Amino acid sequence: MNTSQTDTTFTKEDGAILEEVMNIAFGKASSELATVVDLRILLNAPKVEFLQADDLLRWIKQDTADNDTLNMIEQNFWGKYTGSAFLAFPTSASKGLVSLFEDDDLPPMDEENPLLVKENLLEIGNILIGACVSKVAELLDDEVTFSPPRLIPRMVVDNLANEARLDPDKVAILIKTVFHIQDKDIKGFLFLVAGEESMAWLKTALQNFMAKF
Amino acid sequence: MPKKLLIVDDSPVSRAIIKKCLPEGHDFELFEAEDGQQGLEKFKEVKPDATLLDLTMPVMDGFEALEEIKKVDSGAQVIVLTADIQPKAYETVMGLGAAMVVPKPPSSESIADGLSKIGLI
Ligand SMILES: [Mg+2]
Repeated sequence: MNTSQTDTTFTKEDGAILEEVMNIAFGKASSELATVVDLRILLNAPKVEFLQADDLLRWIKQDTADNDTLNMIEQNFWGKYTGSAFLAFPTSASKGLVSLFEDDDLPPMDEENPLLVKENLLEIGNILIGACVSKVAELLDDEVTFSPPRLIPRMVVDNLANEARLDPDKVAILIKTVFHIQDKDIKGFLFLVAGEESMAWLKTALQNFMAKF
Repeated sequence: MPKKLLIVDDSPVSRAIIKKCLPEGHDFELFEAEDGQQGLEKFKEVKPDATLLDLTMPVMDGFEALEEIKKVDSGAQVIVLTADIQPKAYETVMGLGAAMVVPKPPSSESIADGLSKIGLI
């Protein structure tokens, strides 16, 4: 046993605080996207689980149809809390996502155009991930910088660990928020993965957040 | 007589934050519910002077709960406390008769504002 080890075990209470922080952050993120696309985003209460990155696969499978692949947008962020954020949509939902950005004054977009699909997915990822992670950082008195978003197209769910370059030994904080885009029947989810080095900081930051009230 | 205040929110953390933000020097009798369905039942049971209502909740969300509460008592004073700050959510709850919307996280000031706007403090 390493005696200098900090206690990074997350209690139920820590998880509940993080859920509320994520709830606020995702509310902010969906409001930014809703303003851009002029549609209502229906939110579910976020669920927080602390798992090995390995278990992410099993967890994501609960929310995806058996044969569907995922379009995932990944963005890394650095601060006192450092990690990666992923936004995932079933590949079959991509067409509907492209039409979100359609402008009535312009000719209809070619929903099969892979470049256009890519651009639109990256933009949605950038808005949702950026607003969500920035808000978490703001609430926890952190500041983060972001990498540009990266698209992992048509990912077979079983290849997740490889494609998302997850270290299977890392303890990850998985925050899953499922959301629906009204009138479009599009369901997606957002999750964050952070390494153990961020855990001690996060635990303290969550306690500090509660102490502010 | 203490004022009866009903807090409806699925997050125990959020309910704790709201309670910490209640203005001092006032006498409140607090009631809590964990979802819209429970909130509606508590509302009928205790007839609170004011309800602080969350929107994103399981079982019955705050939109439906607000609609049902207003059916029970059209004069019910409901302050919506929510992380869902989309303009359409705001329009919907104001249309359903909410007294005001307070964004999360609340502060002592924003809660006091809400309670004074409905004349409770
Ligand atoms: Mg809620």
